[in-house]
Amino acid sequence: MSEGPLQVLLVEDSAGDARLVREMFSKETPDSFELTHVSRMSEAVLRLSKGGVDIVLLDTGLPDGQGLDTLRLALAAAPGVPVIVLTGLADEELAAEAMKEGAQDYLIKGQIENRALPRALRHAIERNRLQTETDLIRTHQMQFKDEFLSHVSHELRSPLTAIYQFVTIVLDGLAGEINLEQREYMEIVLRNVKQLHSMINDLLEVTRAQAGKLTIELQCTSLSDAIVYTVNTLHGAAAAKEIALSSDMDGWLPPVCADPTRVRQILIILVDNAIKFTPPNGAVKVYARVAEDPKFLVLEVSDSGCGIGPDMNESIFERLVQASDPGSAGRKGLGLGLYICRELVSRQGGQIRAKSAPGHGSVFSVTLPVFSLRSLIAPAFRKGKRTEGPITLVVTEIGSQTGWLSDEVRAERSHGVCELLQRCLLSDLDVLLPKMGSAGAAELFFIVAITDRSGGEAIIRRIREQWEDVACIDRAGLTCSTYYRPLKAILRSPRESAEEGLERVAAGIQELINEEISARITNHGQ
Amino acid sequence: MGNKKILIVDDDPDVRLGMHVRLKANHYDTFFAADAISSIAEALKHLPDLIILDLGLPAGDGFVVMERLQAIPGLALIPIVIVSARDAHANKARAVKAGAKAFLQKPVDTAELLAVIRQALGDPEHSGNPTIYDLGSSVS
Repeated sequence: MSEGPLQVLLVEDSAGDARLVREMFSKETPDSFELTHVSRMSEAVLRLSKGGVDIVLLDTGLPDGQGLDTLRLALAAAPGVPVIVLTGLADEELAAEAMKEGAQDYLIKGQIENRALPRALRHAIERNRLQTETDLIRTHQMQFKDEFLSHVSHELRSPLTAIYQFVTIVLDGLAGEINLEQREYMEIVLRNVKQLHSMINDLLEVTRAQAGKLTIELQCTSLSDAIVYTVNTLHGAAAAKEIALSSDMDGWLPPVCADPTRVRQILIILVDNAIKFTPPNGAVKVYARVAEDPKFLVLEVSDSGCGIGPDMNESIFERLVQASDPGSAGRKGLGLGLYICRELVSRQGGQIRAKSAPGHGSVFSVTLPVFSLRSLIAPAFRKGKRTEGPITLVVTEIGSQTGWLSDEVRAERSHGVCELLQRCLLSDLDVLLPKMGSAGAAELFFIVAITDRSGGEAIIRRIREQWEDVACIDRAGLTCSTYYRPLKAILRSPRESAEEGLERVAAGIQELINEEISARITNHGQ
Repeated sequence: MGNKKILIVDDDPDVRLGMHVRLKANHYDTFFAADAISSIAEALKHLPDLIILDLGLPAGDGFVVMERLQAIPGLALIPIVIVSARDAHANKARAVKAGAKAFLQKPVDTAELLAVIRQALGDPEHSGNPTIYDLGSSVS
């Protein structure tokens, strides 16, 4: 804080009230306070923006600002500068609200005791300083904790790498024959290495979740595929404990709007947990169906394990919380899996719940939104306020001449192309759809545009220009072809409502997309 | 035809040895470097067919090494596979942009490492591989 007199800004439109305040300060030593008086909020904001004000005395009834709005303006104009609100006798309720919104104190006009004003000012400034300091310390602590966790997790990976390398070298017989007993022991080491590895990943995932850095790429995703993948992956772990792992689906299920990697991750955590907490000879079931609200699918993982008490049904999703299980004393992990699950589910627009009773097993149910082309394209149609006109589907196909080196590289390129395409769109008339399915070796991108033939050609021209502009390294080995397909139906048909129109258009677009995808799958198969 | 040559750049001697044993068993010849400066010298000396590169290195990180390699005509086209303990989210895109063929996070699944190496070298599938123990179901 600056040395010298405290700079006080008085915002008060009544000349009489301003005089009273000035008189109160006159009794102080002249070098302790310096008072500046303005009578309009606009002048106050101007003065605050110049900086150097230590505290604001703010009247809440100004010609250009009333009530809490004046406070908000003042706080926004000079963040971190304490504000004391001056109110009338009948406005104590308003004053209490002001405190909640961030005022340091309030004084009631006409009730300010002699010498009370300077004291209130000094208190407010001191309180404000302490508060700022506490906030700063908390932010630093959070940052330190995140950095610490991230650093430790990374450092743990290097020795783990060496352990994994040599255990597998011995197991693979690269260092000579091993006998059965040695193999059994080395497999125990390997199992523990894997457990440690997944704990480190969990730690990093939690740090990311807290920093808001979990990456999620929503697309048209098959829940059935994720279930099959999970059951196949964990089949061995279940069999080792003689647990029956099964899955069931309620007929054909529509795709969900989710990140396929994240859906698999959620399922793996839930099924892995279920296996862990179920005694030998038990059963774990995965079941999926359409929810009561047909805009969602429900995914259930149930087990015949120890169950959790009703008091734990909520807290089980918190960090580091685990149900205590008197029946088994084995290691259970860090207690981060369900926390990660909840973060992942809610970031994808769903919910997760636990239903359980001790001794009767548990059911974890997850909801995920059904993929709806209609809700994806609706904003463009509403934003553009277009009720009629032709619709075009622009298809961009990015292929790799050499085949994709790995899924990571493929995802990386796909992300780059999405950014490129996004730059070619008019935000209020065109929609770039998320990934709509797998189409053989190529990556397919679809843009729904409210435009005619020449508009479609304009989009394609923009895409080609952008494609030429990107650095060679980014498109090395890639082929790009882009073309448009007009939709026969137009948006508005006289006899239907806007909603029905949207439904029909979405169905038409879906049909075109299906054609594009299936054409490639056939070609690829030949 | 002789074995393909792979230069392993990693500052951890245990990791270098582990990779060497695994790669030798898969009929690759290996060479080593433990820091950014000797990695260039070793690359010039042996002209490897592929470089396995760690990111955290003494005397300049893996990105610096990639930049230097690309500036040397005879080395610029050697495929590079990054194997690092650093955060994939923060480094994968950067590594691929800098010209790496792939980014693999430590600990690297053995089967994945071998597959990526084969693909980067343009080799057909090797036959008669020993059993491979994968790292399991962790999704990261």
